[in-house]
Amino acid sequence: MGLLVVATYPVAGGPVLEGPVSVAPDGAVCVGGTQVPCSQGTSAMLGAACQVATHLGAPVPHALVAGDIGRGDGTREVYAHLADVVSRVEPTVIAFHYMQPVMALMRIACEHLADAAPQALLVADAGGMYAAKAAGLASRFELLTPDVGEVGFLADPDVSHPAYVSQYLFGTSGFDPVVLARRAYESGGSSRVLLVKGVRDHVFVDGEVVDTIDLPCVPELEAIGGTGDTVTGLACGFLAAGFPTVDAATCACRANREAGRAMGATPAMHAGQLVAVLPQVLRDNLCGWAGACPA
Amino acid sequence: MRLFGRTENAESPGAEEALGLLLFDDVTAALAAERVLKTAGYEITLIAPPRHLRSGCDLGVSMHRVEHVGAMRALAEADVAVRSWVDDTEGTMAVSDIVTSVDFGQWLMVRAGNMKIVVDKATRVIVNTSGGGCPDIPYLNLRLVGLTLDEAPRPKDLGYTLCGLMLDRAYVEARALLGGDA
Repeated sequence: MGLLVVATYPVAGGPVLEGPVSVAPDGAVCVGGTQVPCSQGTSAMLGAACQVATHLGAPVPHALVAGDIGRGDGTREVYAHLADVVSRVEPTVIAFHYMQPVMALMRIACEHLADAAPQALLVADAGGMYAAKAAGLASRFELLTPDVGEVGFLADPDVSHPAYVSQYLFGTSGFDPVVLARRAYESGGSSRVLLVKGVRDHVFVDGEVVDTIDLPCVPELEAIGGTGDTVTGLACGFLAAGFPTVDAATCACRANREAGRAMGATPAMHAGQLVAVLPQVLRDNLCGWAGACPA
Repeated sequence: MRLFGRTENAESPGAEEALGLLLFDDVTAALAAERVLKTAGYEITLIAPPRHLRSGCDLGVSMHRVEHVGAMRALAEADVAVRSWVDDTEGTMAVSDIVTSVDFGQWLMVRAGNMKIVVDKATRVIVNTSGGGCPDIPYLNLRLVGLTLDEAPRPKDLGYTLCGLMLDRAYVEARALLGGDA
């Protein structure tokens, strides 16, 4: 099996949902046949990952999600079910996404996965990434996908949440991803591969830049909730399909930008519209970017 | 200051300015405490607890030590649960005050820390929220998008986490920039 996504969806008291992910033509996302609300966050991430799998003929993502609107109840539910799901699904990539950043739960999960799924590549974004870094576990991850603001958090060993990122890291012209990614790596706040999303996307290995992507330039994407989540979903989809991590990250950035151009992005659009154009974007471009061409 | 083994006590000069920290089990309780204590006239600041007291998404309230007994009584009367009082603030951190904005012509985007809000400048309708990673952020996106700044509830009144608090800061700044203070 390929990708397992561990996350929450924004419904108070919503039950645990587990199963394969599907995407309707309009971008609506279902987990195990149940639709989850279309919003920024995990639905956007799942939608993008599913489009990659479908395009490449790979197994669709498997999701373990529960309703949580910030109280942490759904987060605790998914952690409680994680061991069982991992043993049944045997994922090769496990991605932690929108969840309450609880360090203790992430520590327990990582300890379990080290025994139960030692070969699985770990990915984290959003609250999963916050928990991993705050718990001192970032270096166990293959890929983290912060935006430019969040890389300041990864670089600051004293903070446990991006809300406390230090002013001095901001500099006079904003966060410098190259400086901060190296700092994050040196202080144990980075994964092996780091994808920093921004006006110019950066891909780092062991704290050093290996690629940058800045075309096409679609600045409106930053304003659209969930377009960072789609980058993460794309990267997870490529990774689960067997792409090397750096190629997965690079193709994700390119595909997201192309999708932004294809949808004619404005700040008033939503991530579901980006997910809906991904099949066309992948058909038109992926062969040229990665040599992943239709048979 | 220590002199011959003595430590400062509450009667020492300047002790009335010394700060302590109220700790809570979750961000929601800290935000509720902020509302109660500000309404009651206390000078307080929302801050991160010291590292050894953090669980992941934490918010505390610092205030003058000498006022904490009355403040805890006010919180008890308002049914706000306090986990504990800590008699110093060493190791605490302030919430980020990094706020920037981007003008997209028809729309204004305001960033506060890791959170963003996008508003149609003519209609004042919230057209997007983005950033963050806590589970209340997709929920706030569903609740806020489509409402005007005047109709929308304060994000910190709906949210439960530090990301929700940062979105509130972006919301307040957007109101300030487009007219109509929160």
